This record gives sequence, C-alpha cells and structure tokens, in this order.
Amino acid sequence: MKEQDPIVFVIDDDRMIRDGLQSLIRSVGLRVETFASAQDFLGAKHPDVPACLVLDVRMPGLSGLDLQLKLRDDGIPIPVIFITGHGDIPMSVRAMKEGAHEFLTKPVRGQDLLDAVQKALASDRVLRQERREADEIRVRFESLTPREKEVLALVVAGLLNKQIADQLGMSELTVKTHRAHVMEKTEAESLAHLVRMSEQLRTATRK
Amino acid sequence: MQINTAAAAKGALLRYGLAIGLVFLALLASMGLQDSIGNPFWFFFSAAVILSTWLGGTGPGWLAVICSTLAVMYYFTPPLHSFAVTPRELPYFVTFVACEIGVTQLISWRRRTEDSLRQARDELEVRVAERTAELKRQLAEQRRTEETLQATRAELARAARITTIGELTASIAHEVNQPLAAVVANADACVAWLARETPDLAEARSAAERATQGATRASEVIARIRSLITKATPEKSRVQINRVIEQTAALAEGQAARNSVTITLELSPDLPIVFGDSIQLQQVILNLVVNGIEAMTSVTDRQRILTLRTEAESKCQIRVSVQDSGVGLKEEVMRRLFEPFFTTRAKGMGMGLSISRSIIEAHGGRLWAESNGSGGAIFQFTLPSEDRPSA
Repeated sequence: MKEQDPIVFVIDDDRMIRDGLQSLIRSVGLRVETFASAQDFLGAKHPDVPACLVLDVRMPGLSGLDLQLKLRDDGIPIPVIFITGHGDIPMSVRAMKEGAHEFLTKPVRGQDLLDAVQKALASDRVLRQERREADEIRVRFESLTPREKEVLALVVAGLLNKQIADQLGMSELTVKTHRAHVMEKTEAESLAHLVRMSEQLRTATRK
Repeated sequence: MQINTAAAAKGALLRYGLAIGLVFLALLASMGLQDSIGNPFWFFFSAAVILSTWLGGTGPGWLAVICSTLAVMYYFTPPLHSFAVTPRELPYFVTFVACEIGVTQLISWRRRTEDSLRQARDELEVRVAERTAELKRQLAEQRRTEETLQATRAELARAARITTIGELTASIAHEVNQPLAAVVANADACVAWLARETPDLAEARSAAERATQGATRASEVIARIRSLITKATPEKSRVQINRVIEQTAALAEGQAARNSVTITLELSPDLPIVFGDSIQLQQVILNLVVNGIEAMTSVTDRQRILTLRTEAESKCQIRVSVQDSGVGLKEEVMRRLFEPFFTTRAKGMGMGLSISRSIIEAHGGRLWAESNGSGGAIFQFTLPSEDRPSA
C-alpha cells in the first residue's frame, strides 16, 4: 500500500467489536488502525494522509465525545463517525453540533458503516485539498508588502483604483503598480480569481 | 339392639349354666373321693364357687354357693339324703357356708375392681388416640402454614431480585448489545470477504469465528440474569462464595463502568465452603454492590472504588465485606438502614437491605453496616461454613 492511501482509525474498548470493524473495513481494501482507548490513539503517530475516525461514544477513561473535543481544540481536523450503543438523542445532538460526520447506533449494519467511512474519507480528501490550497495561497499572500496588503484588501472590497488612491493618500499610478505586484505575487489570473482566493483564505482561517 | 339383648341373654344363660355345671362336677368329684380323703367337698365346692364367680360374675357365684350348700346338706351332712342338718353338724356346716359366701364376695369384688380398671384403661386409650389424631392434624396444618410462609418469603426475595435487576437494565442492555454488535460487524465482514472477486476464506473464517464468540458472550450474559429472575425455590447446597462474588461482579460490571466505578476483588484463596442458597447469596451481594455504586454517584473529588473482600474469620465462619468510597452513612440513616420500606433514594422501594438481612440470618449469619475510616460505608456479613477448605 502506498503511503498516500487513506487510513481509518477504529477506537473501541471492546476487542471483539474492534476486530470485527477492522475486518469489515479491510475487506473493502482500506487501511485500518485500531486502538483500545482514546488515550492510545492520542499517543500514536498519525501519517499525513486522508483519514477518518470510527469512535465508540462510551468508553472508560476519555469518552468518544471528549476525544472529539480534544481533537478540535488541538486543531486536528479529522472526520468522526460515532457509534453508540444507545442512540440517546441529547448525546447525538451534541456530537453533531461539534461536527460529527455521522452518528450510527449499535449494532451497525456493515454497509451503513462502509458508506459512512467512504463519505468521511471523501470529505477529508476535499478538506485536505482545500487546506493545501489555502496554505499555498497563504504563502503567496504572506509575500506581499504591508502596502500591497492594504491595496489588496481594498481591491477585494470592490473599490476602484481612484477610490483606493484617495483612501490611501497615494497617486492612482502607484495603486496600479501595487495592484500589478499583487496580481503577480498571488498568481491571480483575474480579479475574480483574486477575490475567490482571498475568500478561500478567510474561510480556511476561520475553520 | 334386639340382637344385643339376645346376645346378652345367651351370655347370661351360659354363665349360669357354667355355675351349675361346675357345682355338678364338684359333687361328682367329692363323691368319688370321699372314701380316700376326709370331707373332700370342701375343696371341690370352694373351687366351683371361685371359678363360677371369676368366670361368670356375681350372679353365677351366688347360684354356685346356693347349689353347693344344698348339695352338701343333702349328700354330706347327716342325716344324709335329706336337707336337714343335725345340731351337732350345724357349726361345721355354717362355717362351710360362711366360707363359700366370703369367697364369692371377695372374688366378685376383685373382679369388679379389675373390670373398672380395664374400662378406665380402655377409655384412656381412646382418649390418647383422639388426642394423637388432633395433634397430627395440628402439625400438618402448621407445616402447611410454614410452607406457605416459605413460599411467600421466596417470592418476596425474588421480587426484590427483579427490582435490583431492574436497576441494572440499562447496563445489562448494553452488555447484551455489545456482543451482538460484534456479531453483526463480524458477520458483515465475513460476507464481505466472501463477496470479493477472489473470496478470502481465511479472513472470512476468522470473522465467522469472532461472530460465534460474540454470540456465546451474549448468551452468557443472558444466562447470568436468567438464573436470578426465574422462579426457583430456595435450595441449599455447597457454595463457593468467591465464585458467587465473581459472578455478581461480572453482572454489575456494566453498571459500575457507566458510573465510573472500579470494582476490585480481594478474595481470600483458601476459603471454606458455605452451605446455602447461591442465588439468594448472590442477591445479597448484588444488592450491596448496587447500593455501593449508587452511594458513589455524587463523588467527584476522589476515585470511585468498590472493594469486595472475603476472608475466613475462623474455621467455621467466613466474612464478606463490600466497601465503597462514597458519601458515607449519616447516623440517622445508619440506625434505620435495615428497616423495611426505609430508603434514601427517590426510586427505591426500601426492601433490599431488609430482605438481605433476613436472607443472611436464615443462613445463620449476620449482616451489618459501618462507616469506614476514609469516608464511605462498609457492609459486612458473616456466614457459618463447613470445617474444610474449598479446594
């Protein structure tokens, strides 16, 4: 298997369920790593590939919900599929609010889980792609001088060169020069592209 | 009644006939022997009177006396062959008659005494038989009452068991659902391995095996519960208390985990055998364990630990203790703990400890509660044991 192959992490304190889920997921050709507790998972190294978590809500020690919060706080964005023995509504609501990808009740139908896993991996792939693009964009944007950044902000806000020149107290020509540098450094193909990139950057930062 | 009268008349005829016959025999014997012995009539007629009185009663006795007197007057006192008596023979004759009368009186008195004695004895026998029958009836009734009481008590204990199990429902459902989830996951995996373009039989087999294990585990959980709720009559047998405690701990494991309670077992390895009803003993332990877990739900500043301990106090007594690290028992609560219908819980029925105590006492042991030094409570009970190790 290639290093880039996605991984499914299965965390459940019950060995028999862990083995069953692992076998099930492996049978469709996916890579699986299992952990008996949330702590074990946190202690392990995770390769930088698309992944998702299959997580038992109720576990001794750190619970599934606790782990979900901890991952979010640590800035590790990974889609979580919760499995619960008792589909109690407050708990599932809480999990979904915190951004759980899916909430399945035990016993889980194999196909349901596999579908959820495929969806979660697909969404992680997209998210990772977005993050990667955002990172690239950020690098490009970082290379702008403070003055260029000011010009960029106003350009994106939809102001005309003349207005920008007035606002920043510079000549229209200078604005044009800055603007050309911005377009060049950010590799923007058009004004629309520039706006889209800065929007992408803003949402990625917010996440 | 008719028949009785006829029978009585026939009896009287026989008795009087007997007297006459005996006197006649005495006459014959006296006449036969009067040449060899002097005045033999004395003995023979006396014998006839004695026998007549004894066998026939007072009437035939008197008849024998009269007949004898007449016979002696006629055949043995001069003038012979007449009913007259010469003045010279008169004292002799009177003595004879007096003796005969005395004998018949004495014998008939003896007989009467004996009769009344026999009658008294017969009456006594009848009374004894009646009283015995009555006692038997009372005894049977008492046994029936006791059996009913026993059955009621067993039913009550079972009701309490079901209540305790009821408190564990959520965790038991989880315990059954868990292996079932494993069964489903593994069975699905098995099918998936078989459905591949080239089926992977080794993977499919091990998944199928895990499914079987899961099903076995689920059935074990159910078996543990079923033994507690089925309607079993109390039955005493040799019990290894450590085994009972392990089973109970397994049953309460889920409930403990839900409440973040750790159950630790400190079981003495060489514990003597106990003679008792294992289901009832399990009920007592389960009740104490569930109470202990309950007592720790509000504890947040320290670990929630429930310790089950066994030890041999002596050769013929063991002690089981259940210790929690909960909030402990207030003095007021401690005093009323074992009263029926006393409870500190909103949902409790208040019968658990009361029934537990009566179960332990029925086993010849003692159940009591104490505060333990480091906060929390400790419930302990003793049980008499057989004087030999369980190994």
